[in-house]
Amino acid sequence: MPVPSASRSGFAIEASHLCRTYRVGQKKAGLLASLRGLWKGETRTVEAVRDVSFQIGHGEMVAFLGPNGAGKTTTLKMLAGLVYPTSGTARVLGYTPWEREDSFRRQFSLVMGQKNQLWWDLPAADSFELHREIYSLDRARFDRTLGELVELFGVEKLTRQPVRELSLGERMKMELIASLLHEPGVLLLDEPTIGLDVVAQSTIQRCLREYNQRKGATIILTSHYMRDVEALCSRVLMIVQGALQYDGQLSGLLDRFGRKKLVRLQFEGAVPVGLDRFGECKITGPVAELNLEKSRVAQTLSAVVDMPGLVDLSVQDPPLEDVVAMAFGSGATQP
Amino acid sequence: MEGGKDAGIRRGLGSYFRLLGAFGRFSLNREMAFRGNFLMKVLLEVVWLGILLLFFHTIFRNTSRIEGWNEYQYLFFLGCYYALEGLIETLFLENCVEFGELVRTGNLDFFLLKPIDEQFLLSFRHIDWSTAPKILIGGALMGFGLWELAEPVTLARLGGFLVALASGIAMAYSFLLMLASTAIWMVRNQSLMELWWLFSSLMRYPRDIYEEPWAVLIQKVFTFLLPALLVVSVPAEAMVRILEPAILGWTICAGFMMLLASRWVFRKAIRSYRSASS
Repeated sequence: MPVPSASRSGFAIEASHLCRTYRVGQKKAGLLASLRGLWKGETRTVEAVRDVSFQIGHGEMVAFLGPNGAGKTTTLKMLAGLVYPTSGTARVLGYTPWEREDSFRRQFSLVMGQKNQLWWDLPAADSFELHREIYSLDRARFDRTLGELVELFGVEKLTRQPVRELSLGERMKMELIASLLHEPGVLLLDEPTIGLDVVAQSTIQRCLREYNQRKGATIILTSHYMRDVEALCSRVLMIVQGALQYDGQLSGLLDRFGRKKLVRLQFEGAVPVGLDRFGECKITGPVAELNLEKSRVAQTLSAVVDMPGLVDLSVQDPPLEDVVAMAFGSGATQP
Repeated sequence: MEGGKDAGIRRGLGSYFRLLGAFGRFSLNREMAFRGNFLMKVLLEVVWLGILLLFFHTIFRNTSRIEGWNEYQYLFFLGCYYALEGLIETLFLENCVEFGELVRTGNLDFFLLKPIDEQFLLSFRHIDWSTAPKILIGGALMGFGLWELAEPVTLARLGGFLVALASGIAMAYSFLLMLASTAIWMVRNQSLMELWWLFSSLMRYPRDIYEEPWAVLIQKVFTFLLPALLVVSVPAEAMVRILEPAILGWTICAGFMMLLASRWVFRKAIRSYRSASS
């Protein structure tokens, strides 16, 4: 994988004070307002991305987290060179992305789970072949890479079937194969598993992990599925309302925003009454789940441990989805 | 956005031709998946041409010339129009019409990320083979016209014809590309087809029909400002009527200028592309 000299010693991706504002049209309801808008359209400035800076090392796998409309995709598109920043700079593999140099475009791929770049009416194999021509890939190298990828994704029998006849999961695998054929060193994935079932999701996770290990590729992923994030990325960047709210380990996010712990108590028979005095309590059959502030866990445990009929006890972090939702909420309230 | 420029230099023409061949091959594969549609379109073209021929034959039964064009010269003109429009439709029309859809859905993203000249990729990505028979029909009509005229085809005429034809294709393509590029700013540009229809209607008849005093302004505008009247008239005149160096020179010049202008507009448009959100 050729790496330009500029990035050899530094980071694969560097973003410095990236900002992007958009002017969006405002239209009031009603016909009269529409007609008035013909003469004088009202616009509003939206700050999609505000002063975002980060660095990502070669071979790192990083997740962008954030609610819808937070600026994740805009940031990703700036790194891909599709959107020009209003201010700020970025370097990807030593290139300025929005200059869209050919040598840069040969070294990265953008995959969008909601869009499709394969020829709909043709088998994926034909789209792959076209890809070979566009990227001027040497035949032997192309055949070898394609063979490896088809085997990795387990789609040997599907490449000759028209894309429109494939299931969503199969199609996504083909999209990923197409985007990996030129062995990109940087892979930008925008919700690659959206709408997929658990089996397809985990296959794609496995394949991405393996690609990352084999080729040392740098991967940025945006996903609303925490399973993807947990399976692939140890580092997360959280963007809320266009600004970077958190940059660090996934576990750190749990420490910082996961203020509660889940204490699970299993009893031999019915759950004894009065557990709700410790805090929020949910009872399902012989199991009680206490949702407690971290500071109260030790005290509560010592109080419940000798309860008659208690057969099992565990302390867990709350589901990542809940922590992230809480983090989004707290980010949104910050200026 | 210099990516496209250095792509053009580094890749060399050979690889662009190979890619064009690949687009042609895969488009044909796709077309063959819908054979019924293909045959229906070919049939419609043949019927439409039949009606046109019948109409002009009826006119020429009552007069020997229309504005100086005799029947076989006119047949050659008609063939030239057919071949040229067929070529534009086969290569560019579908791609330019779909451009607006790519902008609206944000799928244009994928095309801008490929290490290749974006204009080339977007202009040629689908070859519409169902309109290709028009090129053959046009060629046959031109051949028949020339045969009946029984005049020798000199090298000068042939050269003039080919150069003017290439310029005509350049003008029509450039106009389409400029129209398509406006989709970036307008997002929905359904007027594109109507404007193309106007342009191709102007191409359809010899420019001599605008000699009447009331039509001179139209002739001047569509000869010097938006040279639609030159696209078919000049190559046909070069072959079967008088080869006028001045108008031939202007046609070549206009074709070249329009190509440059359309590339400028296209690049400007791509530079303003905002990309639809996901």
